[in-house]
Amino acid sequence: MSTNSQEQTARMLGMFDNLKADEYPLKEYKYIGQKGPRRIDGLAKASGHADYTMDIQLPGMLYMRLLMSPYPNAKILRMDTSKAEKLPGVRYVLRYDDPEVQKAEIIGKTAGFFGVDRPLSDSAHMEGELVGAAVAAETEDIAEEALSLIEIDWEERPFNLDPVAASDPSAPLSFPERYIDGNHWNRGAYDQLTHGDIKKGFAQADRVVEFSFKRTANTWIGPERPCGVWRWNGDNAEVWLKHQRVHLPKSRMSEWFGGIPMSKIEIHSPYQGASFGGWCQIDWNLGPLWCAAAVSKRVGRPVKYIFTRREDFFGGSMDEGTYIVKVGVKNDGTITAVDVTLYQVNAIWPVFSPALHIHDNTRVQHVHGHTKSIWVNKGHTVPTRCEMLPPVLAQTMIFDHVATELGMDPTELALKNDGCMGHDMEWAREEKEKRGFPVRDSLKECIEKGKAEFKWDESWHKPGARKLPNGRMHGVGFSWAHEWDDSSGSGEFAIRIERTDATATLMAMGADNGVDAEATYCQIAADELGFRLEDVNYNAQVYRGFYRMTPDSSTNMSINGWAVRHAARILKQKILESATSPSSPTQRGSFQPAFPNTKPEELDIKNSLIYVKSDPNRQMSMADFVRLAGESGPFATDEFLGTRVGWSEPLFASGYHVQYGAYNPVNPRPRFCRQAHFMEVEVDTETGEVFVTRVVNVNDVGKVINRMSCEGQQYGGSIMGVSRAKLEEVVHDPVTGVMLNGNLLDYKIATMKDLGPIGTILVETGMGYGPYGLIGIGEDIGTVVPGLLAPAVYNATGVWVDEMPITPARILKALGKI
Amino acid sequence: MNRETKSYVCPYCGETYDSSDGLKGHVFKMHKGRGLPTAEGRIKLTINKSEHIFQVEPNWTLYYLIHDKLGLTGAKQFCDRGACGSCTMIVDGRPVLSCMMLAIECDGKTVETVEGIAADGHPLIDAYVKHHAMQCGYCTPGFVVASKALLDRNQNPSEEEIVEALSGNLCRCSTYPQHPIAVKEAAGKLRDAK
Amino acid sequence: MKEFKHFNAYSVDEAVALMGRYGERASVIAGGTDILGKMKDAILPAYPEALINIKTIQGLSGIKESGGMLRIGALALLADIADNAIIKSKYAALAQAAGRTASPHLRNMGTIGGNICQDIRCWYYRNQNNRFSCLRKKGGRCYAIKGDNRYHSIFGGSVSGGCFAVHPSDTAPALVALDAKIVTSSRTIDVEKFFEVKPVKTTVLKGDEIVTEIQVPEPVAGSSSAFLKFALRKSIDFPIVNCAVMITSKDGRVSAARICLNAVHVIPYRAVKAEQVITGRVIDEAAADEAGAAAVSEAKPLEHNKYMVAIARTLVKRAILACAGK
Repeated sequence: MSTNSQEQTARMLGMFDNLKADEYPLKEYKYIGQKGPRRIDGLAKASGHADYTMDIQLPGMLYMRLLMSPYPNAKILRMDTSKAEKLPGVRYVLRYDDPEVQKAEIIGKTAGFFGVDRPLSDSAHMEGELVGAAVAAETEDIAEEALSLIEIDWEERPFNLDPVAASDPSAPLSFPERYIDGNHWNRGAYDQLTHGDIKKGFAQADRVVEFSFKRTANTWIGPERPCGVWRWNGDNAEVWLKHQRVHLPKSRMSEWFGGIPMSKIEIHSPYQGASFGGWCQIDWNLGPLWCAAAVSKRVGRPVKYIFTRREDFFGGSMDEGTYIVKVGVKNDGTITAVDVTLYQVNAIWPVFSPALHIHDNTRVQHVHGHTKSIWVNKGHTVPTRCEMLPPVLAQTMIFDHVATELGMDPTELALKNDGCMGHDMEWAREEKEKRGFPVRDSLKECIEKGKAEFKWDESWHKPGARKLPNGRMHGVGFSWAHEWDDSSGSGEFAIRIERTDATATLMAMGADNGVDAEATYCQIAADELGFRLEDVNYNAQVYRGFYRMTPDSSTNMSINGWAVRHAARILKQKILESATSPSSPTQRGSFQPAFPNTKPEELDIKNSLIYVKSDPNRQMSMADFVRLAGESGPFATDEFLGTRVGWSEPLFASGYHVQYGAYNPVNPRPRFCRQAHFMEVEVDTETGEVFVTRVVNVNDVGKVINRMSCEGQQYGGSIMGVSRAKLEEVVHDPVTGVMLNGNLLDYKIATMKDLGPIGTILVETGMGYGPYGLIGIGEDIGTVVPGLLAPAVYNATGVWVDEMPITPARILKALGKI
Repeated sequence: MNRETKSYVCPYCGETYDSSDGLKGHVFKMHKGRGLPTAEGRIKLTINKSEHIFQVEPNWTLYYLIHDKLGLTGAKQFCDRGACGSCTMIVDGRPVLSCMMLAIECDGKTVETVEGIAADGHPLIDAYVKHHAMQCGYCTPGFVVASKALLDRNQNPSEEEIVEALSGNLCRCSTYPQHPIAVKEAAGKLRDAK
Repeated sequence: MKEFKHFNAYSVDEAVALMGRYGERASVIAGGTDILGKMKDAILPAYPEALINIKTIQGLSGIKESGGMLRIGALALLADIADNAIIKSKYAALAQAAGRTASPHLRNMGTIGGNICQDIRCWYYRNQNNRFSCLRKKGGRCYAIKGDNRYHSIFGGSVSGGCFAVHPSDTAPALVALDAKIVTSSRTIDVEKFFEVKPVKTTVLKGDEIVTEIQVPEPVAGSSSAFLKFALRKSIDFPIVNCAVMITSKDGRVSAARICLNAVHVIPYRAVKAEQVITGRVIDEAAADEAGAAAVSEAKPLEHNKYMVAIARTLVKRAILACAGK
């Protein structure tokens, strides 16, 4: 390894958007990969001392609630707020026809596609949309009561709830103010995907499998309700916001009220009660924040807006829709062609082709996928734990339908078609070699390990063939995909060595989302610097400073991991250079180096001790090396105490990383790491109930950094996946378009009793593009596992349930019992 | 007595009478044995072993009193409808949902919150941290309190008993498998300490 | 929640007097887990002006056997009923029902009186801000008939034909199976006659009447009872269908059977036809299955709840078999 910090910097720049394996991994790992490191946020969260935006209360603070439209498609003709204004405790009612509201800038741009219009609109395009008025009052209860006193004449318009029906040209317009030519609005770089020639592909097939399935509405359920607090300090804005990427709202806010300089916006991101994407992908909750800001200015008091739990339900997951699939396959299991059309509900960011995963993941050459994003009178749909939901769901269903059609073990079918971007595994092998990766068959390893743990060979059987002593039908399912770290973006980290105790402080923006990323960065820094883990700390910068990608377990760990490592490597060389060079000369002469007559490449650091490699007894602790500055500096202390007269310069370095990830249209990265998932179910064919008795997850993460955090994602994703597959469904009344189950009783997420044990296996092939060969985990499991339930149920019963969630009613219907 | 309308108002229940004799008769019949009437909404609570006296409005939930007014923000509001367990507190030894209890009905009760449990150094806290029984952390205090209530009455719970006791607590990040591990470890520490 | 007055009642007389004074303008609050949800969502056209707390009445939370019957105070907590040794051994269906109600926290707050008096859960009725002013709110019609009725009645509507919302209690069918009596502040009523469907009411209680005690006769020798609940989740959820059964056997055959389904009709549904089928039979899979089919023979499912018929039939069968230890 080079011992020159400039060379480390050059290497950092050379790694940007790297398309090959890590050329300079560490030779040994001490903290990376360990199970032990303690969560940095653990004590605060367990003892109730972690503060979330919902917990923030400021002196004089008002509470703001916004009006919900009772109709799915309606316009305000006339609004009387006089009674609301007179209610004791109401301090302000902001109306949609207020001049400042009307001329407000477009308050947000969602990933560049389109803006959310005025902060308070006069028209609603879903039941529950926040329109018309915002009330600020002394308590949340009074604000709520005031809303009920607002009288409105509405013009009700016809509405749509189903995307297939809404795509018909004769259907009424769901959003006439914006989509005047019909409800199929589609924009997005990825909505259509064509590779090869599917006519040719189908011609090669022995059989064609056709099916369609429907995923009904489901949503993220972030435990902390969307909320935010705005306080003006003069013309400075101080904001607390529940948002997993606070830098985005900050840039939006800088455009408000004629422009607020970003340096005058202080934005706090306390602990976050989970978002899973959700509202953070929609700039929709910026409307209430704008209202809070405007009212706060007018009344001179801080304002907190809070969504009710019901209001949080209005956005949804982007896998909602109807999937129409046609697959061509040879009798030996080779898939020759895939054609998928998705009628997707209200997706805004971004719209992916439903065939994307098939293309990325397999050797199938002839692929066509088309997403028709149709606007219906519901909320926006966005990534919910992952933006790849539709293509992953499609891949899972395709493979499992084909496996059952051929009577083939689905694990064999997967291996048969594994590949990259339409190329086979031989091509992949060449690519791995070319790019410097170890040549391993990730899917094969994952499947082998998973099958052993799950006892697949004893468990898999023909559909409907195994009845258990308890009368239920036994079934198993399998699903797979690649692991991904698709982030496009950049991240920065800085590390400084503290004067007081020579510990290392990592500095980057704070945005905790619960995956213990901060501890993970400390692990990397500790191993890179050679420090003890307890000598490395993370300082979350509150509102300014080094920007990092968030949320950061799945896809962003790669970018952030590189940035930390770069910073650490540069800093380590600076430390060693400083230890061997004279310190900055003063008028009296320079200080002697800590290690005189030594070159930096002769030194190393271990356990926070700097030592000479060829003579480890020549060592000095970091604490001794980093001398105090200021009044307690070298002149004052050393002459009195007779200690070494010495000093070290400030030790600080920053690192950064940029990548296109897999979105690079010119040079996409083939993904080599895989994941495999197994599920066992018991189906009660008399009641339609499904018991998920076991799940095993195998994830090739390339390289494990924070082992417990990775396992946590495997648990989290499996349970969320089972929940989505079995229980979760947002229900709208077909007659009025009103949401019927916007609460946690009628919208069901799994409790601790609702599924059996979950097995977690982590594989480390080193074939990831991240540092040390890592690749992400976090989004994927919650995205892949939902698709597992339908094939498991098929294996148990011999019938397909074509609609998710797989409820007892749908199973009984598929069984022909009702 | 209300001098304007010349009606006599019962200080216990607000019932009105035309005469003081009528009021007296009512009080003796209906409220016999009660102590002197106190100000409406005045309640005494022992919270984490400290005595407090509050003046509460009828529509304040126990959660609102403790979280918003007292500032113990450990308990959280996830559903606010009694379906998730994030607002769990221990009241008179029972794990209950503070968002579905009225503060005015808690006069004389003993309340334990997660802050008190942590301040006492209960081994659950350390076990939760060690076993990563949390991710975003929003539901964590509710789980800690429900677990503590379990360990108060059963210091050697089986996995099944732990799952049953925590089955009213929802976790969206889905950390469920880690909780029984943490609770068992804490239970062991409690038994060892005896 | 909006403002309201609050009264602590310290005796039954006081509670009754307050209820009489306020009439429909006040609601009684016991555990509070139902009424507070209704108030937070402001589901009713009129918000209660006052709440009358009856938890402050002493002597209504006991559980004891005396005089040949089990006597449970109306304020007894569901958790205590579920854990009670006598109830678990002799009145098993009730212990099981109480133990499967809601969640552990709610069982430490909810009373049995409140559980049988609780209001319907229909998601039209319960929608915020009285969005659907339905029959039960003295409004125009039932919105579930043409809407999403997946959790509604499979045995037709209420007496007046209009409302299809089911009774959501888990303990109510157990009490019916166990042939309980409900003692109120003014009378004693057979549990089967306790339930009624009217606007904003699910019981026959008058405006100034509260439940004080539930009496369950000691089961005769040869009796056993069981309770089964079907819900999408194993905790927290209200039942989609539940079933409580008490079987008395003599010489290996069923001499008496009481079978009650709930969450399938506007009030608890006594499956009389199923009782007729199983009486006199030896309990085996075939007999129990026949009884199950009889239990749903008069089902009139709506568009989205046909699956409940299959589940109800299955639960009746399995509850009968459970009574026989099978």
